[in-house]
Amino acid sequence: MTVFISGGVKSGKSSLAQKIAVRLAGPGPKYYVATMIPYDEEDRARVRRHIADRAGLGFETLELGRGVERCLDLAAPGATFLVDSVTALLLNEMYPENPAGDADKNAARRSIDGLLKVAREAKNAVFVSDYIYSDAIRYDDFTENYRADLASIDRALAAACDTVLELCAGNIYVHKGEWEL
Amino acid sequence: MDLIIGGAYQGKRAYAKSHFSVREDDIFTCREDGKVDWSARCIAGLENLALWCVREGVDPVELFKKHESQWENSVLISEDIFCGVVPLGAENRAWREAAGRLCGYLSSRADSVTRMFCGLAQRLK
Repeated sequence: MTVFISGGVKSGKSSLAQKIAVRLAGPGPKYYVATMIPYDEEDRARVRRHIADRAGLGFETLELGRGVERCLDLAAPGATFLVDSVTALLLNEMYPENPAGDADKNAARRSIDGLLKVAREAKNAVFVSDYIYSDAIRYDDFTENYRADLASIDRALAAACDTVLELCAGNIYVHKGEWEL
Repeated sequence: MDLIIGGAYQGKRAYAKSHFSVREDDIFTCREDGKVDWSARCIAGLENLALWCVREGVDPVELFKKHESQWENSVLISEDIFCGVVPLGAENRAWREAAGRLCGYLSSRADSVTRMFCGLAQRLK
């Protein structure tokens, strides 16, 4: 089963995703695919918070800032994957060498291909993204292109996944499919 | 009138085409210049029109009321720019409120209201 979860910041996406992944995996192997590459202390604090959040849930962590589909080769057969987050993956795919270079124009396409491969081939997969599309700000071209690219990935995943959930302040809206905890 | 709202890049136009038989040629997209083709089968970019209204001191709801007979059978599309944090800058705050008020009014007059989320349609009315 595949589940796509999005919503605003701090709306409870990651913790819901963990609960769903734990339930889907049952006694089977489960992997937390961490896509954020920490660059500073703020990032590292966030990573520590996420690690503490999932402590004791039995996830093995795979740190894949790029090439997310490699999780399929690294995992035991019949695995459940929690990919957190699509947002960070795209950012890393945009800068394959270093954050100071030019953005890779194929990043969104590559991200979609990798994520859809995981969705197709994994026994279970849960994907977490961020809903960043509804505010009254005119962004610079870089940010606007990033939003457009992330949205293209979100739409591809939402179309492919069995279940699509939106979180709003801890409340769950079911856009597609079924789910239970 | 059918209203489609949703965030940027969420598939609002694609839904207008697939669900309301709107063709690309039928869509007039508002810029920030106040121009509106009220005869268009589908008017998109209402959030841009709302920004022009704020700058020119025009009430967007009154503007739409004035042209009601022309859009009452149309498909209208607006970005829901009114969901983010309160923006810095008086113009952006006024814009956000104008767009929110306009969508509220249009929702009340609409035969259907659809919100797009990651390409999926959520029927609100």
